[in-house]
Amino acid sequence: MAKIKKERTGVIRNFDMKSPGAKVALVIIYILCVVIVVVSLFPIFWVIMAGFKELREFMVSTAIFPQRFDFSVYSRTWSQLNIFRNYTNSFYVIMGSLFCSLIFNGLLAYGIAILKPYGYKVISKMVMFTLLVPATISLVPLFINVTSLGLGGSFVPLWLAAGANAFFVVLFRQFFESLPFSLVEASRIDGCSPAQTFFKVVMPLSKPIFIVVSIFTVNAAWSDFLLPFLILRGSELETVMVRLFVFSTEQTVNVDDLMRAVVFSMIPPVLLFFIFQKWLTENIVTVGIKG
Amino acid sequence: MKTKLKIEKIKYQGASWLIMLPGIALFTFFLWFPLLQSIRMSMYRTVNIQLVEFIWFDNYITVFQRTEFLQALVNTLSYTVWSLLIGFLIPIFLALVIGETVRARGVIRTAAYIPNILPGLAAIILWTAVFSAGESGVLNIILGYFGIDQRSYLTERNLVIPLIVSVATWRGAGATALIYMAGLASINPQMYEAATIDGAGIWKRLRYITVPGIFNLGSTLLILQIIAIFQIMFEPMMLTAGGPDNASLSLMLLMWQYAFGGGTMEFGRASAVAVIIASILLVFTALYSMVNKRKVDWDN
Repeated sequence: MAKIKKERTGVIRNFDMKSPGAKVALVIIYILCVVIVVVSLFPIFWVIMAGFKELREFMVSTAIFPQRFDFSVYSRTWSQLNIFRNYTNSFYVIMGSLFCSLIFNGLLAYGIAILKPYGYKVISKMVMFTLLVPATISLVPLFINVTSLGLGGSFVPLWLAAGANAFFVVLFRQFFESLPFSLVEASRIDGCSPAQTFFKVVMPLSKPIFIVVSIFTVNAAWSDFLLPFLILRGSELETVMVRLFVFSTEQTVNVDDLMRAVVFSMIPPVLLFFIFQKWLTENIVTVGIKG
Repeated sequence: MKTKLKIEKIKYQGASWLIMLPGIALFTFFLWFPLLQSIRMSMYRTVNIQLVEFIWFDNYITVFQRTEFLQALVNTLSYTVWSLLIGFLIPIFLALVIGETVRARGVIRTAAYIPNILPGLAAIILWTAVFSAGESGVLNIILGYFGIDQRSYLTERNLVIPLIVSVATWRGAGATALIYMAGLASINPQMYEAATIDGAGIWKRLRYITVPGIFNLGSTLLILQIIAIFQIMFEPMMLTAGGPDNASLSLMLLMWQYAFGGGTMEFGRASAVAVIIASILLVFTALYSMVNKRKVDWDN
C-alpha cells in the first residue's frame, strides 16, 4: 500500500519525526483530538438518542442508548406539536429574509463601495457604528414601533429586518471594493444606469460573497428567536425557534418531547452545513477575520 | 456641452442615492431610530408603551439603587473574567492541537465546528438536560462512573457562571479555532526550518515563532470576545433564568426581564439598562480600535 506522505504543517515538522519525543507528542496530540471530537459531538449524539426514549424511560434511565429504536416516538411528537407548520413558517421567513438581505444590504454596500455619491461617508460611518452596538439594545423601542404600526403577528417586519444588517453590508462592501473598477466604468460608458450595472455586472461577478451572505442569512433567519418571539408569539405564524422557546418555557412541558423538538430544530442547519461544508470552512475564516 | 455634463452628474448622484435609499430606510427603522428612542425612553417614566413624564436621569438613579442591577453588573464582570480563563485559551489550544494533525484533520476540524452551527436556543436547551439534577442528568451519569455524587449543578451559586461560560465556549470555540488556524497557516514555514537549523527544538519553535505569530490576532479576538460575553443573555435566560437568587443574572438579561419578563413592562428602566450596556461596550470598542489601529479604517 503506497501512501503519499503528507507534509506536516504545524510546529512539529517532518524532519522531527525521527526523535522519540516528537512521536510521544504526536500520540498525545491525537488522544487530545479524540477528546475534542467526543466533547464536541457527544451532547448532540446524546440528545438524538434521548429522543427515542419515552418520558418514563427518559426520567429514570441512566443508559445512553434507548431500549428500542422506535421512530414512531419521533413522528408522534412531530405530529402532536404540529411542527410541520412551524417548519413551513420558518421557510417563509427564510425566503423573505434572503431576498431582503441580498438586495437591500447589497445595494447599500454597492452605493458605499462603488457609486460613492456626495456624502456617502456619513452613511458608511453610521453603518460601521451599528456594528458596535448590539441590536438587542434597541429591541424595546423597535418592538413598540412594530406593534404600533400594526405589523405584529406578521412576517413582514422579520423579512425587512434582514435587510438592515451592518455585518452583511461590510462583507459586501469589502468584496465590491476588490472588484476591478474598469468593468464598472465600462458598463457605465456603454450606457448602463447604476441600477443596471449592479444587476448585470456587479452581481454576476460577486457570486462568492452572495453565497456566503445567503448562508449566513438562512442560518440567522432559522436560529433567531428574540424578535420573532416578540412579533409572532401566540399567532399561527410561529417559527420553529419561537415554538421551541415557547414550548421550553411552558410549565407542563414533557422533557422527552422537548428533546425531540430540539432534534427537529437542529436538522436543517446541520444539513445546510454539510452541503456547503467545504465552502464554509474555507471562506468563513477569511470572512471572519475581516469582519 | 457643459450643462449636459452637469445634468448627467446630478442624475448620477440622484440615482446613486435612490439605490441606497431602501437600505438606509431599513437601517433607520430597525437600528438607528430605535437606538435614539432607547436613549429618549430611558429618561421617561413609562406606563406600558406610553411615555408619561420626562424625569431626566431618575431611571438611572433607581436602577443603580436596585440590588439586582448591582448584582447583574458584578455577575457580568464575573462572566468576563471566567470567559477569559476558559473561553480565550481553549480556541488557541484547539487550533494548535488540530494544526499538528495530518490524518483526519478535516474530520476533527468539522467536529469542533459543528456545535457552532446548531441554533443557539437548541444547543442551550440541550445543555439544560446535561446539567439537570437527579439520576438521569447526563453529567451526573458520567461523573457517577468516577464515583462522584449527584449534584444539581445549576442551582449552586459558585458553579453557575463557570458552567454557563463553558456552554458558551463549547458553542463558540470551534469557530474561533478556525480563525486561529488560518493565522497559524499564514506563518512562513521557512521560519520553522531556519529555526531548526539554528538548533531550536519543538518547544522553542512554539515559543518564539508560533506564539508571536498569532499574538496580534489573539489580542484582537480577546477584545472581541470580551465584547461578546458582555452581551450574554440567552445562556443564563434558558439555563437558569438568572438564578439561583440572581447569581447568574447578566446585564442584558436584566434588561430583558425589566422589559418583557413578569408582565411588568418597565420599558423606561429597561432602556436605562440598555444605554448603560451600550456605553460600557463603546468603551471596550474604543479600546479595540486602539489595539487594532492598523486594521480599522473608519474613513472608507
